[in-house]
Parts: sequence; C-alpha cells; structure tokens
Amino acid sequence: MNLRELWQKPEARFLILFLTILGVSFTVVALRQVNDAFVTPYTAVIARMSGFVLRIFGEEAVVTGCVVSSPRFAVTIYNGCNGLITSLIFISGVLAFPAKISAKLIGVIGGLLTIQLINLVRIVSLFYIGVFLPQHFNDAHIFVWQSLVIIAGISLWIVWAHKFALPQESS
Amino acid sequence: MKNATQVFLRRLPVTLIAAVVIWLLLRPAIDTAVAGLAQTLIRSFEYPRVTRLVVEDHQAQMRRTDLRTDSKVPSVSMTEVTFNTIVLLALYLALPHPFSRRQLERLFMGWCVLYLSQSINLLFHVKTLYAMGLGEWSQHHYSDLARNAFGFGRYFTDLPGRFSFPFLIWLGFNWDVVMKMLGIQEETPRKPKTKKKTSGRG
Repeated sequence: MNLRELWQKPEARFLILFLTILGVSFTVVALRQVNDAFVTPYTAVIARMSGFVLRIFGEEAVVTGCVVSSPRFAVTIYNGCNGLITSLIFISGVLAFPAKISAKLIGVIGGLLTIQLINLVRIVSLFYIGVFLPQHFNDAHIFVWQSLVIIAGISLWIVWAHKFALPQESS
Repeated sequence: MKNATQVFLRRLPVTLIAAVVIWLLLRPAIDTAVAGLAQTLIRSFEYPRVTRLVVEDHQAQMRRTDLRTDSKVPSVSMTEVTFNTIVLLALYLALPHPFSRRQLERLFMGWCVLYLSQSINLLFHVKTLYAMGLGEWSQHHYSDLARNAFGFGRYFTDLPGRFSFPFLIWLGFNWDVVMKMLGIQEETPRKPKTKKKTSGRG
C-alpha cells in the first residue's frame, strides 16, 4: 500500500492528521518560552478559578501561583491537572475529523469551555477528597478523575462528531 | 443509527465502572506484565544487563545490580502508567455487541497495542532517569543527544500518550463501528460468503 492509498482511507487520514496536530501542539507547549508565557499563567488562572469556587463554598482558600491552599488542605495544580492536555487532544480530534470550518470552530470553543468546567469540578472535588478522605486522594486523582476527564473529552468529541461531522464520501 | 450514539453515551458510565473493577482485579498482573516487557526491552540494549524492574505496591522499583546496596531505589508509579487501560476497556465495552467474536478480537488487538505503549512509557521513564537523574554517572554514560531523545520519548509517551492512546487505539480498530454509530457512514450490506478456492502450490 502506497502513501496515496493510505491517505484515501478515512481512518488512516484521521489518525495521521490527529497525531500530527497532537505532536505539533504538544511540541509547542513544551517549549520553555511557551510554557513561561502561556502554560504557567494559564495554570495560575485555573488555580484562581478553583480558589474562587472554593471560597463560594465557604473555604478560606488562598491562591499563590498554582497552589490553592486553605487551613484544611492544599492542592498544587501541575501541567497535567490544568485541563490543557485533554483540551489539546479534543482540539486535535475536532480539527482532524472531516467537518465544516464553522462546525470545527463550534467544537473547539464549546469543547474548551466544557472541559475547563469539568476540570474545575475535578479540582474542587479533589480538594474535598483531600479534606475528608486523604488516604484516597492519590487514587481519586490518578485513576478515577483522569479516566473520567478522558472519557468526558471523548464523549464530547462523539457528541460533536455526531451533530456536526460531514458524511463520508462513498468509495 | 442516531439512537446508537445515545445508547453508547448512556452505557459509558456503566462500562467505566465495570472497567475500573476489571482493572483493579487485573492490576497486579498488568503491572508485572508491563514491567516485565519494559525490563526485557531495556536489557535488550544494555551491556552489561543490570536493570531489574521489581513491582512492589504498584511501584516499579529500578534495581540495578551494579548499584551500591545502600543506594536509594528510584521508582515509578505503575498506576499512572497503566490506568489508561480503564479508558480503553470502558470505550470497548460501550460499543454495540461488545462480546461478539469480532469485538473481542479487536479488544485483544487494541489491548496489546496499549500494553506495548505502556511498556515503552515505562522504558522511557527508566532511561530518562539513567540519562538525567543520576548526577555525574548520567553525564558520563549518556550523551546530550541521548538525554534529549529519552526526554522527548518520555514527554510524548507520558501525558499526551497516556491520555490519547486509548482513544486512538479504540477508534483505529473500530472505525467502521464508530462511524456507523455516529451515523456518518451508512451500513454496507454484508458480502455473501464465497467458497474458498483451494489452490495447491508447486
């Protein structure tokens, strides 16, 4: 099978495009300049939003950089916890899939907002797990919430593809 | 086929719980298998063969036979390396007819690919530690190119890989099923079975 034949296959085309966009986007966010100028301030914004929600719930939450702390518990938001990775994977999936530009735009904006909302729920819930069930914090952080966030991202992509994707040409 | 998407999305929370249970039950075996393959891959390119990966309490401990006995033993969390099995299982089980022969074969193939990706992720963790984390020894034994290559491999197989591989594997092996489910690709009628020609060689 040559490259042209491979490119004709929709699944191969999607996977190649997806991996290319994903690879490029992850390379870009790994650059120190991008990390300092975008990723760290972005994570700090997520921390401030989490602190704001926790204060609504009556916690005496203080945010310092990417650390949300209160007299009861403290969480540090790292790169893997800011929703950026799930967002980039979701965006790669939307951009690689055959659909109109307007549909992709809706997908990207709607998806980013929804993923951030889910991530906010995740951080706040992890804070309370840390307060009430600290022995389960690591499990909840790694395999419960990470799996949930990935599944949520994929579900969003499925809903988007179902509503907005273009029908494939019959070969 | 519109209903199929809704059925899939309704099934997903249930299959996620089932997948967590399966993963928790299989976790010791998965940990050992992933560490075993990673160790084999590392030792294949290692002379003398000194790396031993021992799994204890869901941590892969990097025990080199040439380390001093009073050395600290670095470890990698196997939970972080293998948790994405949950995502792959949940996605597979939520598809229509998950226990049909075809879907079970696809699950097996997909799981094998994921297993390989997890082993490679662990390999990069170990090699990155060797190349960067052991001070002067790392400087002496690894070049800048090797440090960059292992760092690059670890970065991409870590968060991006762990998060995206289950989705990619699931979609890659089930493209026809997923597209039908989304209503994007019409169901094609099955070809009638034709008798296999028996051809002799030579």
